[in-house]
Amino acid sequence: MHTGTSTTHDTHDAHDHIHPPPEGFVRKYVFSLDHKVIGFQYFFTGLLIMFIAGSFAELVRLQLTDPNGAIMSHTAYNEMFTMHGTAMVWLVLIPLVTGALGNFVMPLQIGARDVAFPWLNMASFWILPLAALILFSSMLWGGPHAGWTEYPPISLADGTAGALWCLAIFTIGISSTMTGLNFMVTIMKMRAPGMTWTRMPLFIWATFATALMNMVATVALSVAVGALFLEHVFNVPFYDAARGGSAVLYQHMFWFYSHPAVYIFIIPAFGVVSEVLPTFARKPIFGYKMIAFSSMAISILAFTVWMHHMFPSGIAPWLQLPFMILTYAIGIPTGIKIFSWMATIWGGRIHFTSSMLYALGFLITFTFGGITGVFLASVPVDLHMHGTVFVVGHFHYVVAGGAVMGFLAAIPYWYPKATGRMLNERLAQLGFWLFFIGLNGTFLPMHWLGLEGMPRRTATYAGFAKAFPDAVFWNQFETAFSFLMAASIGLLAINVIWSLRHGTLAGINPWGARTLEWTISSPPPYYNFKKIPQVFGRPYDFDQPLPYRNTDNELDEFPEFGRVLMPIPQPVGAGA
Amino acid sequence: MSQSPSVVRFKGLGPGFWPVTAVLALLSIANAWYFLYGNIDWIMPGSSVPVTDRASDIDGLFKFMAVFGNGIMIFVAGYVIYFAIVFRARSTDSPDTVGVQIHDAPKLELWWTVLPTLLLILLTALSINVWYKIYFGTKAPALTMEVVGHQFYFEFRYPGLKTSVFSKTEPMHLPVGVPVRLLITSTDVIHQFWVPEIRLKAAAVPGLVQNLNFTPLRAGTYDIACSEFCGPDHSLMRGKLVIEPVAAFNKWLDTENKAAAAGGGALNLAGGSAAAGKALFAQKCAACHNNPPTPFDQKLVGPGLLHITDDPAHPTLVTGKTPTPEHIAEILQNGFTGPIGQMPNRQANGLSDKDIANAVAYLISLK
Repeated sequence: MHTGTSTTHDTHDAHDHIHPPPEGFVRKYVFSLDHKVIGFQYFFTGLLIMFIAGSFAELVRLQLTDPNGAIMSHTAYNEMFTMHGTAMVWLVLIPLVTGALGNFVMPLQIGARDVAFPWLNMASFWILPLAALILFSSMLWGGPHAGWTEYPPISLADGTAGALWCLAIFTIGISSTMTGLNFMVTIMKMRAPGMTWTRMPLFIWATFATALMNMVATVALSVAVGALFLEHVFNVPFYDAARGGSAVLYQHMFWFYSHPAVYIFIIPAFGVVSEVLPTFARKPIFGYKMIAFSSMAISILAFTVWMHHMFPSGIAPWLQLPFMILTYAIGIPTGIKIFSWMATIWGGRIHFTSSMLYALGFLITFTFGGITGVFLASVPVDLHMHGTVFVVGHFHYVVAGGAVMGFLAAIPYWYPKATGRMLNERLAQLGFWLFFIGLNGTFLPMHWLGLEGMPRRTATYAGFAKAFPDAVFWNQFETAFSFLMAASIGLLAINVIWSLRHGTLAGINPWGARTLEWTISSPPPYYNFKKIPQVFGRPYDFDQPLPYRNTDNELDEFPEFGRVLMPIPQPVGAGA
Repeated sequence: MSQSPSVVRFKGLGPGFWPVTAVLALLSIANAWYFLYGNIDWIMPGSSVPVTDRASDIDGLFKFMAVFGNGIMIFVAGYVIYFAIVFRARSTDSPDTVGVQIHDAPKLELWWTVLPTLLLILLTALSINVWYKIYFGTKAPALTMEVVGHQFYFEFRYPGLKTSVFSKTEPMHLPVGVPVRLLITSTDVIHQFWVPEIRLKAAAVPGLVQNLNFTPLRAGTYDIACSEFCGPDHSLMRGKLVIEPVAAFNKWLDTENKAAAAGGGALNLAGGSAAAGKALFAQKCAACHNNPPTPFDQKLVGPGLLHITDDPAHPTLVTGKTPTPEHIAEILQNGFTGPIGQMPNRQANGLSDKDIANAVAYLISLK
């Protein structure tokens, strides 16, 4: 019982001490509880699966170089695009943007020593390889074939492979929910003293909005694929119209999750861009409150728009209207964000690091994907565009041009913090140009191909090519450019591994950035912060001293807690 | 570190801001002009001469969005590139050179919230107008017909036509100037009926009937495509639509009816070859009926056909008729729908008269 006579036995004291790092390889690197190691585990697992899923995409592209199908059977092609989509969405994007970035960066940015529930965090990660194993093992039974959406009744033809697909998605859903819960609690309860909600870095706002969606939405997906699993294995007719079920029911539950899922990948990218732009423009983020507010608004509106994926799919016409209007409504906070980012670089002093290039590229490609989204949201226009490669183009501008670009901006930005060494900047910049050019070359022509009449998910398109002969040229064009993107990701992997040993030493704060993770050594010690820092100001005022006290870490880097400086000469080309 | 940072200085909104804005505005106007007055058939097929009344409505909406959407894109990309160039760091900068330290500009933010909102409200109003026409604008269609999706063809059922038309073997026909309503459904998995030039599509969902309403305006031949993934041969699920003057359409209906009537009686089963029938069975029937044939109860999708003529437990065919060659041929010609399942008809299965004769010869040889 607290007597009130002593202030030193404050309840916080029990936690305010440093644990020694674990001994032994297994506890250190395999079943680690350290959020930074878990972040690395997510990163390397995600990157590995990205190679597999990316090579499936290249096979899909190669097939389409010939209108009659260049390299494989219809069935094999259907399996490839299904596995590409499934693996990219659930095993690459969500683990990379929430698992890798969220885990590594979030606790450091809020001045915490770890996430709220380290054991839960470890369990969340280890579910990922398990789910990957289940998903890829389904290929031994012929693989799933019905697209990453696996709509019944066609997906019921997948048999065992389809059941394994459901099991894999159900399993990874558990991981997402747990991570969402963990991150929400961490952000709500473990921020350093003085870090009020409006002093949080915008990446934390983004992670918070993402965690909210992860926690709430994933359950709907679990129910949808759980029921599909029961239909596969026990023939329970949830989705069989002939026996009283409904094929459209699955689509409702699937999209109730999967629309927020798109925002689950894109909002962390918003967070990354909101960190990278001010740092390299040497300017405060423009409209901090509006950016934070719009992340939350988007994450809540995300739950109210799912039927815009289903305008022609069998819903009552009157029901299309509210979903069209709510989808337009999302355009408003998204527009506010884009304009605020543009205003952030206006009047700045812009340093073209590879990170900044990706963030600037993001502004262009993501805006394009957002605008084509407004086209698709209009019911009448969607009745033409739905189910065509226009949708594929739009989606990839948002996901590859938004989420992946944001992620690629984050890699060179936080790599020095994570490893203590810089990425090779020349290689990273080359990677940017390959990715940016490759992305536009691959996905831009899809817009007019789709409008001209090319349905998506077609193993061959001889009929369409007869009506629109240019289709062959444009498909070959897309395939050629898609390899630039692949090369870019290959370069990234080489760079990440090469720089682990050969990159120039980073020091504490190579970018002159202002959030808390840049006040501790690189890589951070096991306990992150020797003393929990105190925060007494906003993070982005580049003309002010750092708003932190009690950092005691390497004070020589911040004499008198002075302003952070942009290292000169520029880091461009450093490490080469 | 008491010295103050060196904050960048420049005049107005930045060197060359207004000339750049003027260039971007000109580009946007050029874009608008192109979409409103140029020939964009290479983007939207047949937009220069709309094929249906709804197509011209939807194209109008599309052009509105292309004008404003591309315009916004031109400004965003243009300003991002311009800002990046004008506000780049210089080699003469000191380590504490920073940009203009502003945090917000409430008036500006109000504008960029209100203007897009107004634009989206306008777009909503225009979209609802077209949406209303699509679903409720056709009060009394003069032609109501059914479109049924199957793996991997469309079946078209016309009022006044005794047999269905199948996209595998024959084009769909529609008359010019007549308001039509398509009732769309499916018997197996989800398909989508789409004619790019009509602009409209609807999913064919088992257990659900959706409708599309429009009036064809321009005669011609157009492609039909399935735009919802429906199985291995989804990409081959295509057909043709012939839009023709009313007289030609009626003449076509007439010819179809005569052919259907003639097809019923003129079949000659006598010359059938059981050996050819056996090969045909392996090729066309074995997907649904066990091959080699099994007794009735060993079903695959359809029943086993081993004792089709001499099964004491099943003295009649599924149609309830005696198992004569003629009655077997009837099922092959017309297909079958009943509690036991469904079988496509000869057009859907692609069976010639000779094929039917061979198949019957083979089936009656099974004992």
